[in-house]
Amino acid sequence: MTNSFVKGFIADLFYFPKIGRGVHCIWQRNFLYFRQTIFTSITWIFVEPLLYLFALGYGLGRYVNQVEGLSYAEFIAPSMMATSGMFVAFFEGTYGTYTKLTRQNTYQTVILTPVSPDEVLIGEILWVTTKAFISVLSVAIVLTLMGLLPLAGIIPALGVLFLMCWVFASIGVWLASLAKSYEWFTYSQSGFIMPMSLFCGTYFPLSQLPKYLKYFSNILPLTHVMMSVRMFLHGEVTSMFLINIIYLIALGAIFTNLAAARFVRRLVF
Amino acid sequence: MTTNQGAEKAKVIEATNLVKNYGDRRAVDGISFTVHAGECFGLLGPNGAGKTTTFKMIYGSAQITSGELFVLGLNAKSHIQKIKSSIGVVPQENGLDPDFTALENLQIYANYFGIAEKAARDRAMELLSMMQLEDYAEKSIDTLSGGMKRRLTLARALISKPKLIFLDEPTTGLDPQARIWIWDELRSLQKQGTTLFLTTHYMEEAEELCDRLIIVNKGRTVAEGRPQELIESYVGREVVEFEIGPKEVEYFVSKIKDRFAYQVMRNRLKLFVRGQQTTRDAINEVSSQNVTMRKASLNDVFLKISGYELND
Ligand SMILES: Nc1ncnc2c1ncn2[C@@H]1O[C@H](COP(=O)(O)OP(=O)(O)O)[C@@H](O)[C@H]1O
Ligand SMILES: [Mg+2]
Repeated sequence: MTNSFVKGFIADLFYFPKIGRGVHCIWQRNFLYFRQTIFTSITWIFVEPLLYLFALGYGLGRYVNQVEGLSYAEFIAPSMMATSGMFVAFFEGTYGTYTKLTRQNTYQTVILTPVSPDEVLIGEILWVTTKAFISVLSVAIVLTLMGLLPLAGIIPALGVLFLMCWVFASIGVWLASLAKSYEWFTYSQSGFIMPMSLFCGTYFPLSQLPKYLKYFSNILPLTHVMMSVRMFLHGEVTSMFLINIIYLIALGAIFTNLAAARFVRRLVF
Repeated sequence: MTTNQGAEKAKVIEATNLVKNYGDRRAVDGISFTVHAGECFGLLGPNGAGKTTTFKMIYGSAQITSGELFVLGLNAKSHIQKIKSSIGVVPQENGLDPDFTALENLQIYANYFGIAEKAARDRAMELLSMMQLEDYAEKSIDTLSGGMKRRLTLARALISKPKLIFLDEPTTGLDPQARIWIWDELRSLQKQGTTLFLTTHYMEEAEELCDRLIIVNKGRTVAEGRPQELIESYVGREVVEFEIGPKEVEYFVSKIKDRFAYQVMRNRLKLFVRGQQTTRDAINEVSSQNVTMRKASLNDVFLKISGYELND
């Protein structure tokens, strides 16, 4: 029983989806919808980080002197970008994908065409990644205008954030293809995503954490994102970031394959 | 119908012993059939018979548990993507995308087939007007009536000009006008050379449209043939129906059972008139206050084969 479960899991890890032009079609379908609702989407993307910034950066920040040689607002600026992208990726990957998979039956219709279930899944992950990255970029623009982001190092930092969007998109879509109800996402949001947004070197340095929590924090993807983004923006660049990037790529690949195997079996069974 | 007789027609679908299990539950239990080019082939049966499941196996929305299946000469187990590029599907649930307008639904679907943007728009507009939906092009799906949604789904299936179209209960839930309108549309598609494969639980729909059909029940084929042949061989030309008391049923049955094909449905006795028999012969057999005569239909065939009891 457990043996076959493990075998199934390993098989899923090595499920490499076969893709072609259908991926682009799925992405386009979602982009078309996004374009129609862009005002609500973009407003939401801008307003949320601004709320955080005012509450934390300027509110709480008054009582904080400096963190690692930066004002508190500057210190949390990269976290604003990262958490915004993470939340959008997770939200769109779970609720968005699940709705199209179950309530709207969107994909049941798509697979009546030459677009394959594999392509639907990859197109979906790429779309979620794109949408999350759009939110990262919007936040980056706001923060730059407010003078909270140094322009040097922004390009590689955005590269890392793009990887992050993919990682959380694939985790989200994987959960959506496992989920039995919307409640699954509420639990994973409050049990996984929320705590991660707080304890990964986002609002205070990792060094403040007790030793064991620090070890634990090192397996969380957001920790690796924050480490390398901070390094590119404010630190001295060493080859350490390669570890972060390799870790993120590995997670993205693993969850993409797991999601694909599950999703395809759920769509056609 | 007569044009299909004679010369051997190309086989468009060949299914041999198709089986589908959902977990422990067997939904399709060894169905075999052949669909020829240009004909309208029907899959008839009550709810739960396995019609939709059979369809889903053919167009790759369900895995095949066992059996052989060739569509357009291609093995459905290995070439499903290729098959899907040359067929049109009207699924039982429309599956229209509520995030978009009627026109956008067609355009997005066309994109899945790789149809270029301009061509897709032209084709979509042409289909909308063919389905009398041009006024609804920019309307969202939620504002369309059931009949309009069904027509839009049919338009969607036609976007790639397929030569083989699947229709899963094309008119279920529609009012009589909408139904007749769709029937006419399907007939004209067939005239243009399209092969139609439809499922229905309306026997009159099958009689109206299908050149050949199979009747399925509980996942198995129970009858196969042309509608008229089936009617004649299973029931006869005409049906005389008597309303009689439950106590009399037994008496009359014993009186006629050696000479007439019959069926008892609660307090009704149906005599089937076949061969040399005439309706007059039948009427004289049974005394009843309430007698109806009519042409035999597929409905009678179906009730005769699958029994009168509810079987779900
Ligand atoms: N997704 C499914 N999971 C489990 N059982 C199913 C599923 N779909 C259909 N069935 C079962 O398979 C049988 C055939 O269903 P279906 O093919 O939808 O019949 P029809 O289209 O003739 O009404 C039914 O008993 C139904 O309950
Ligand atoms: Mg059905």
